Amino acid sequence: MIRLNLVLLVAVVVSAMFLVHNQYEMRRLFVEHEKTLKEAAQLEMSLERLTVERRAQATPLRVARLARDQLQMRNPAPGITQYVTGPGPAREVPQ
Amino acid sequence: MSSRSVQLSSSPLLTSKTPVWRSKLIVATIAVSFAGLAVRAAYVQVIDNAFFKRQGEVRFARTLELPANRGRILDRNGLLLATSVPAPSIWANPEDMERDPEKLRQLARLLEMMPADLEKKLANEDKTFVWLKRQLDEPVVKEILALDIKGVYSIKEYKRLYPEGEAAAHVVGFTNVEDVGQEGMELVFQKQLAGRSGSRRVIKDRLGRVVEDIGEAVLPVDGEDLQLSIDNKVQFFAYQKLRDAVLEHKAKAGSVVILDAQSGEVLALANYPSYSPDKRVNLSGEQLRNRALTDTFEPGSTMKPLVISLALEKGVVKPESRIDTAPGRLTISGSTISDSHPHGTLTVNEVIQKSSNIGTVKIAMQMQPKDMWEIYTQVGFGQKPQVPFPGVVSGRLRPYKTWRPIEQATMSYGYGLSTSLFQLARAYTVFSHDGEVIPASLMKIENPISTAGVRVISEEHALAVRKMLNLAAGPGGTAPKAQTVGYSVGGKTGTAHKQEGKGYSGKKYRGFFVGLAPIDRPRIVVAVMIDEPSNGRYFGGDVAAPVFSETVQQTLRLMGVQPDMSVKPQTSVQAVEESF
Repeated sequence: MIRLNLVLLVAVVVSAMFLVHNQYEMRRLFVEHEKTLKEAAQLEMSLERLTVERRAQATPLRVARLARDQLQMRNPAPGITQYVTGPGPAREVPQ
Repeated sequence: MSSRSVQLSSSPLLTSKTPVWRSKLIVATIAVSFAGLAVRAAYVQVIDNAFFKRQGEVRFARTLELPANRGRILDRNGLLLATSVPAPSIWANPEDMERDPEKLRQLARLLEMMPADLEKKLANEDKTFVWLKRQLDEPVVKEILALDIKGVYSIKEYKRLYPEGEAAAHVVGFTNVEDVGQEGMELVFQKQLAGRSGSRRVIKDRLGRVVEDIGEAVLPVDGEDLQLSIDNKVQFFAYQKLRDAVLEHKAKAGSVVILDAQSGEVLALANYPSYSPDKRVNLSGEQLRNRALTDTFEPGSTMKPLVISLALEKGVVKPESRIDTAPGRLTISGSTISDSHPHGTLTVNEVIQKSSNIGTVKIAMQMQPKDMWEIYTQVGFGQKPQVPFPGVVSGRLRPYKTWRPIEQATMSYGYGLSTSLFQLARAYTVFSHDGEVIPASLMKIENPISTAGVRVISEEHALAVRKMLNLAAGPGGTAPKAQTVGYSVGGKTGTAHKQEGKGYSGKKYRGFFVGLAPIDRPRIVVAVMIDEPSNGRYFGGDVAAPVFSETVQQTLRLMGVQPDMSVKPQTSVQAVEESF
């Protein structure tokens, strides 16, 4: 009887220790998970910020100015455009 | 051990006789105490545990708010018109703030403030919360926190960015510092854009780290993205050309509206003067007003094509019918109507081409006021346009029963009623969409083959009027400057005296132009208005038509429309030295 009790006592202690360890492990992993989530959110925000920055760099105003001033380009006019009709997706052609 | 110790067995205490009740009393007392403890423990832990549970939670459980991201505003091609980026704010607690002069100087520099101003903000030491600066860039905030000043904190906030700047400002609008829409689409769609923030209960450890969730988290619902019908390139061109024209003619203001002629989508809607939505200091109402939708004016000659189309529909005239407009003056119940130049006998085509008031009035007087009122109403005058926008106006169109003959006459050439530029552009879809007027939309329409409209005039008569509009924009018309290279255009000029008090101002005008292109199969309707041009020229054909021409040229090219007129190829190419 005493032996059985001792065995049970040891089992209880071991299981309790295991529980504590698991709890600890869970919290550790949870904290790590939180950190990763935060990082993901931050990266997403950076992406958004960089997208905006790229858009700000590519506004029609800036593109037009750079093309005109630095690259000496000009707007295409029908007079210098040749329209070709290829096999691609059908384009609308005025009758 | 002391020598005076006695053996236990010989202890005198053992020999004395003790009453049994004493030991029993002690056992009972201890038993009762334990029972009391057990009852108390059961009470605290099982029966009435709320209080202690709450006290425990107060010490380690926290509710975190999960903010929802505000939706973005996109143009029809998915390009950003407005989006949110994190912009932390810096606040301080003056009560227990560290006041190291050197650190404060650095802080002021990073905040781009004068040290004296910073001192002033922190002067009241009874306060526990003071904003130092809101919505800073993230790198700057990191530097500030790196200074490690006690009593200076950052808080996460978001800033709205508008990469298109002033070109699209009136359509997109802006939000305030609390991220709540104040103008334009940001205001109208505040609910959809804002989303709903969520929350979660968590347990924090002593270092402030989240270590466990309690219960289910309420997830935030992000705001929906909003896709407008605006095309950002068209919008930009339209704004640029409009601004150039307003500055060139020393005008007070101007507006331009571009509609897709088949789907009714608004491709561009711009006003000048405008503002930059990111930097809103010293804004005036003049800059903020979305004139194309909120300002009404008398449409003048741009009404004539509607009257003529009604006359064709009622069989009153044919395009080749001849109308005698000599001698350029006409008196109706005591009031005289005149043409700016006398024209003699004109065909109906020429009445539109030359914009003859007399010709139009003579045709209009053969019709009933009710019919005129009906066509005006059908194309949307006197009614609020069905677009979601703050401050949209309906203009004014009086019931036909109150029209006196002279009023019927003036209304045929656009005086005595008022409209916004947006309504005017939409009204012209009746010509571009083969006789059906279509609803205008600021939202992108998926699959826009052709929006169903309300039939007002027959297809044949819509085409006939388009041909007249083409003549008006051609040589011998009122607006040859509306022509483009490669694309056939048609349109009607309007020049109206501005109302001042009860009468009309002799010197203040509005010049406008409404037109469509290409003539055979219109793709766009463009309306331009220039308010108070004061640099010598003021006719719609001089001030507004060139803006029309340039925007049509660019817009049709961007839409990939092939020119419908033969163009002389220009092959002269300027050689530019390449640089290495």
